Amino acid sequence: MSNLLIISLAAAAVFGIAALGELLEQRAGILNVGLEGVMLLSGTFGFIAAKTSGSYLQGFAIAILTGALVGLLHGFFSITLGSNQVVNGMAIWILGFGLTTYIGYPYTGPLGLKPFPTVAGLPTFFLVTLALAVAIWFLLFKTHLGLKLRSVGENPSVAEASGISVTGLRYLAAILAGILVGLGGAVYSLVYNPVWNYNYLQGWGFIALALVFFSLWNPFLAVAGAVFFGILWQLSLYPELLFPNIFSRYIWRAMPFVITIVVFIVLSTRWFRLRWGATKPEALGLAYQRES
Amino acid sequence: MEVARERSAGRVILEARGITKRFGTVVANDHIDLAVRAGELHAVLGENGAGKTTLMRILFGELQPDEGEIYLDGQRVRFRSPRDALRHGIGMVHQERKLIPAHTALENIILGHPKTGAILNLRQAEREVSALCERYGFRVPLHAKVWQLSEGEKQIVEILKELYHGARILILDEPTSVLSPPEIVKLLQSLTRMAKEDLAVIPFITHKLPVVLEHCDRVTILRRGRVVAEMETRHATEQTLAAAMVGREVGLQPERVQVPLGDPIVRVQDLWVRDDRGILAVQGLSFEIRGGEIFGIAGVAGNGQEPLAEALAGLRPVERGTITLDRTDITHAPVLERWRRGLGYIPTERREVGSIPTFSLVDNILLNYHFERQFSRWGILASSQARELTERILREYSVVAAGPNAPARSLSGGNLQKVILGRVLSRKPRFLIACLPTHGLDVGAAEFVQRKILEAKQSGTAVLLISEDLDEILALSDRIAAIYEGQFTGIVTASEASKELVGELMAGLRRERV
Repeated sequence: MSNLLIISLAAAAVFGIAALGELLEQRAGILNVGLEGVMLLSGTFGFIAAKTSGSYLQGFAIAILTGALVGLLHGFFSITLGSNQVVNGMAIWILGFGLTTYIGYPYTGPLGLKPFPTVAGLPTFFLVTLALAVAIWFLLFKTHLGLKLRSVGENPSVAEASGISVTGLRYLAAILAGILVGLGGAVYSLVYNPVWNYNYLQGWGFIALALVFFSLWNPFLAVAGAVFFGILWQLSLYPELLFPNIFSRYIWRAMPFVITIVVFIVLSTRWFRLRWGATKPEALGLAYQRES
Repeated sequence: MEVARERSAGRVILEARGITKRFGTVVANDHIDLAVRAGELHAVLGENGAGKTTLMRILFGELQPDEGEIYLDGQRVRFRSPRDALRHGIGMVHQERKLIPAHTALENIILGHPKTGAILNLRQAEREVSALCERYGFRVPLHAKVWQLSEGEKQIVEILKELYHGARILILDEPTSVLSPPEIVKLLQSLTRMAKEDLAVIPFITHKLPVVLEHCDRVTILRRGRVVAEMETRHATEQTLAAAMVGREVGLQPERVQVPLGDPIVRVQDLWVRDDRGILAVQGLSFEIRGGEIFGIAGVAGNGQEPLAEALAGLRPVERGTITLDRTDITHAPVLERWRRGLGYIPTERREVGSIPTFSLVDNILLNYHFERQFSRWGILASSQARELTERILREYSVVAAGPNAPARSLSGGNLQKVILGRVLSRKPRFLIACLPTHGLDVGAAEFVQRKILEAKQSGTAVLLISEDLDEILALSDRIAAIYEGQFTGIVTASEASKELVGELMAGLRRERV
């Protein structure tokens, strides 16, 4: 039982950190559907750095740097060039998938460092996730910068008229998001499952993206959702930990997908849609062109 | 004369001299002079196209004048951008709201202010904003989200925002247009208080002359880009103001025509409808409209008119109640069936719901005809027929357009409205829903549209007229219902209706039998 919970929280840290990053930029109106690609790139480069140097610190630093650069790239396309953000995001995913397969191939295999330390038996990065959730909530709702970020995501022309630089703030959001998503990717490849393989992430980036939408852009709900999916994922892998000899493995394997369908049914209710529509950043995914 | 001199002796705060602005060959502002003195509420009047907007944009730094100077407290100033103007203490309250609906009123007010520290101190900000409210007599729930506020409250939030950001000169674009008559009085009282306290407040106004006369001290009247008069309101009457604005004696409202009423065509029973937010925006409305009757619904924007019209047109599900058209229950009928049964709908949003801007006029006309046999055989459009019909409508409704194939977006608001009107009326509807049919049109086009609606009535159509313009409602309707928060506060006949009565009903201050 406690084993299951601990390993679930380790998985939740990956979902949670990436989702928090994406949540931050979506609040500012930037949509990056290519989370998977960002995490693949940062996770792979972080893995290579850590493996060759033997240092976790270097691995995380490279991963964060990679995330920030990809965030900047996404920002350049969607803010400066004003192109379609969904298309950009897909491009980033495809780029990440292809590039990491090519570059990472020689490094296939385990990381070979001693396991990342835990804190009081809990996964370190789960605690980091909780701290980040509080920090992002505080940033968004209790600081002037947060108010500006949210304004830019709701109505950029109003923000501009209030003397706020929409471009500057959106770049800031895209880069901060890149850093967090990059960290999330490294948590997967260095801590949660430190074995590199082609397409090792198996769609976790997309789950993190979905979590942002389900969370109604609330950092705490995003983390709660991350824990929920973390448990589901582990349960499908090791059902015997919690329910020995109930159902076959194959039914458990299908469980995350079955529950996803249930979640979608809940989400399609009028009750949820109204709340969703009310909290969704009004200008999410829309380029802003300053009137001249 | 002595008294007049004394009153006008106030210090000049803002002065514009000889402001001229040309757009191509059009002179939008032709040597305009404007001097706003301390302690005076000074309104600028003018019709659409008189040059008010251009002047406002120049004062606010959005446009650069070709000629002329602006002085603030006797100092010559130049505004290169709105931000520049803001720095000099000029605040502008636009007609379209510049607020973020998902944020609270207070968050909107403090947004972007340099004084707002890195960590929000909402309590401190609230104290300061409350002090402003107290001082000028505003009441607004500061912690409510802006989308929950009425139009009047939103406007107050914008005024507070400008004041909080240190505006000393406040330009207001049509501040009265979204308010009910009692709200207008309250707003103007607050503005007067501000003017008395050394702020220069300049409302730019098109309609509602009586209120202007009562509350403003001085008016400057623009016509075709020029100042045609500047006077103290004590020396003016409604007639002199209107004559100066229009340039001729006016008896603007068209005459109501009496036709014998036919049978009830539309019957609405206990109708309940939700809006996009899931709130019951229409609450138990019942009415019937007979052939040859115009049933006017008067109300301030956002009191349920829009969901009501959409429910009748079939664009919004009905929560409870029934709608019958010619004794057939159409409560849940699809849109197309309603059109076939003789419904005609003129929506508020001409360019979003009423037309497809990139489509040609022919294609736009077809939007209401494509389902008819003679326009579509085996799914193939009869383009020559459609073209003929379009040409006929363009002729009959004297539409100024490059031709039937011109895209809808190339038309002015007035001409586009004529096309939509022609499209709907050429179907000879049994039941016409007209939402804000003359909103934003100039006098000529508005008069034309009103005449056509009256013609439809004469031919026996039941008309539901929804308008925020009380004068229009009073002039055209046979019966008038005032709507407030989704309910009728009263239904009165044209003969019993007065501006005061309906105004109070609209504001929810009183109720009549319903």
